Amino acid sequence: MTNSAFLHFLTTLLFKQRSKHVGAVLISTIIITLLSSVLFISSSLQQTLMSTLNKQADFTVTRVEAGRAVNTPTEWTDELLNINGISKVSPRIYGRYFYEPRGNSFLVVGVDFFDEQSSRELEKLVDGVNLKEFLSQDNMLVGEGVKSFLESHYYKDNFTFKLKDGTFKEVNIYKTLPKLSNLITNDMVVVPIELAREIFGMKESAVTDITLNVKNDAEWDNIISKIHLLFYDVRVVEKREVKKAYENLYNYKGGLFLILYFITLVTFILILYQRYSMVYSTERKEIGILRAIGWSIKDILKLKFYENLLIVIVSFILGTVVAYIFVFMFNAPLLIEIFLGGENLKNSVELIPVLKFGVLGSIFLFYAIPFLAAVLIPAWKIAVTPAKEAMQ
Amino acid sequence: MLKPFAFLALFLLLLTSAMLSHFLLYNSSMQSKKLLSIVGLTKIASPVLSSAFYAPRELFAIDVSNPAYPQMQTINKMDFIYDK
Repeated sequence: MTNSAFLHFLTTLLFKQRSKHVGAVLISTIIITLLSSVLFISSSLQQTLMSTLNKQADFTVTRVEAGRAVNTPTEWTDELLNINGISKVSPRIYGRYFYEPRGNSFLVVGVDFFDEQSSRELEKLVDGVNLKEFLSQDNMLVGEGVKSFLESHYYKDNFTFKLKDGTFKEVNIYKTLPKLSNLITNDMVVVPIELAREIFGMKESAVTDITLNVKNDAEWDNIISKIHLLFYDVRVVEKREVKKAYENLYNYKGGLFLILYFITLVTFILILYQRYSMVYSTERKEIGILRAIGWSIKDILKLKFYENLLIVIVSFILGTVVAYIFVFMFNAPLLIEIFLGGENLKNSVELIPVLKFGVLGSIFLFYAIPFLAAVLIPAWKIAVTPAKEAMQ
Repeated sequence: MLKPFAFLALFLLLLTSAMLSHFLLYNSSMQSKKLLSIVGLTKIASPVLSSAFYAPRELFAIDVSNPAYPQMQTINKMDFIYDK
């Protein structure tokens, strides 16, 4: 059979029997869409977080009491600076503020705006911010999630914090942090460092934890030992540990979906296999007719292979494109909550498109091979039986 | 039947090229800049995980719970949202 005649017959067969193939294409597209969506979200979040983690300090030092992290003494900052190789030691003040009536919480972060780097970063982050005006009163910058939560609770321009001693502190909402940074800032309230101390009732002599950098990577283990020798009640968290934890977290979640995918795939393949091996199936008759008019086993297998390969390719392209649109254009509604949670404030994150062609290739192979096997094996079994028997 | 087949192939090609062009032309630099600025300002790089109040915001060290399978992590509710 010439190639053009074969192609003509193949396409004719595909379009004449389209009602038979629509089901397989639809189920395949749904399975591929779901799996690709999960992998797209996971790789996008992973890549974004890894790039932001690169800017984070190399180590975080916290005081530990009875196995729990407690406030760290401010004087540790100077002691840490005395260790050779350590640079950029900066104390952090942050913590969760619990809004009791609704059971929600915000992350209140204290920033030293008199630090040159902080003021520069603020100007880059929020357009049209006037630092003098911001510091002249009790003002705060709030994330998108906090802003909409406060607005829905009638806190349009300010919010009243309940302090540790039972008094109240009214703080004005100065500006909203940009939506593009929602992945980090959605539940964030940024206030001057002194105001954060007041909200949490922290003394001057305490901070939440201390971050520091060590320029020479080879010195990291040595520095950890030195810090442990300097303080006995300390926990040092390394950036590389945090990086690994994030990688594991998202791989783990992606992995769970991969298991679900395999279960679904196996079920689908079994259904396909069953359909083709049924004694009275139309497939059987069709192959019998082809054999009777002189087609060889090789020709029949070639026809079935190309027919199903086209179905797999169409499903794969449709599934991947639908997943891409769902994740990177509509920001994966519902599915994103599996990765970011949905217990506290509602978050809408803009996901940066990431396409890992290796992963897409693997999905294609893991889908195409069992699919083709589930069709070709029963087709071959029918093709080797006598034509008369197959058509009965 | 070659005509509808060609039409289908063209449609799929169009879909793929639209996806690839969106991917290649997407400007992620603004978002990256904003994220890096917030990390520079607050020194906090952990993502917002909309979890319970008592859950920690920062991810800490990896918990290797089973020495026989160092890569296997324990499964509990917080693992789905957060590190312990």
